[in-house]
Amino acid sequence: MIALYVVAAIAVFAALRAIIEKNTGRKLPYANVLNFAVAGALVLLLDHPLSLVAAATYFVGSTLEANAIASTYAGGGKR
Amino acid sequence: MLGEILHILAAAIISWILFVTVDIFFKLPETGGVSGASAIARDIQAGGGALAGGTMMGNIVCSPDASAGTLLAACGVYVAGIPGGLAAALMVFIGNRICHDPGYAGTTGAVIATFVIYGFTLVGFAATDFVAGMVIAILSIQGLSHAHASRLLARLWRVRQ
Repeated sequence: MIALYVVAAIAVFAALRAIIEKNTGRKLPYANVLNFAVAGALVLLLDHPLSLVAAATYFVGSTLEANAIASTYAGGGKR
Repeated sequence: MLGEILHILAAAIISWILFVTVDIFFKLPETGGVSGASAIARDIQAGGGALAGGTMMGNIVCSPDASAGTLLAACGVYVAGIPGGLAAALMVFIGNRICHDPGYAGTTGAVIATFVIYGFTLVGFAATDFVAGMVIAILSIQGLSHAHASRLLARLWRVRQ
């Protein structure tokens, strides 16, 4: 139970930091913490084998989004 | 209640050591896997951080690395024991390929974390301690001070070199 509160508090903290930070490059690591916290909270809230698939799908999807935003921000394209 | 808090803190330290060791072993601070990771590294350096540490942080943002592997392995062990952790490792592997990451830090981290976390569940820890612990560990790197975290990672990277 405490684990869920810790994860939820970190999610809110990371979201606020991401909103406050103006620089896109430095904003993304905060969003990354938020993604970790949301994926963790999902599994802690729903104790079911399929919630692992939901968390992994959410996490990979949000990471791909961060990857796309960062690469576009960098000028686009794979190095 | 106090016991659970101490377990979560201990799990955070164990997860931190595990994912930083695996990421540095797989040379994440060396070069940005995609151009976006290098851009994040430049911005972190501009904010007073170190480039090598920033590169590792950029790589963590842009593809599931050992930290994501540890988190999902903890989730997997929580819902389905060792098979759940190994299923998480498979999903991290697929996630790496989707994100154009040529490395195996995430998959390796997830497999190692599965057995480490399962081992700790035998001595009184809960897998949920590791879910919260890993979120605290990633907060300490990505969410508190990018300048300090990147300098610490760069120092560890110099030791590896």
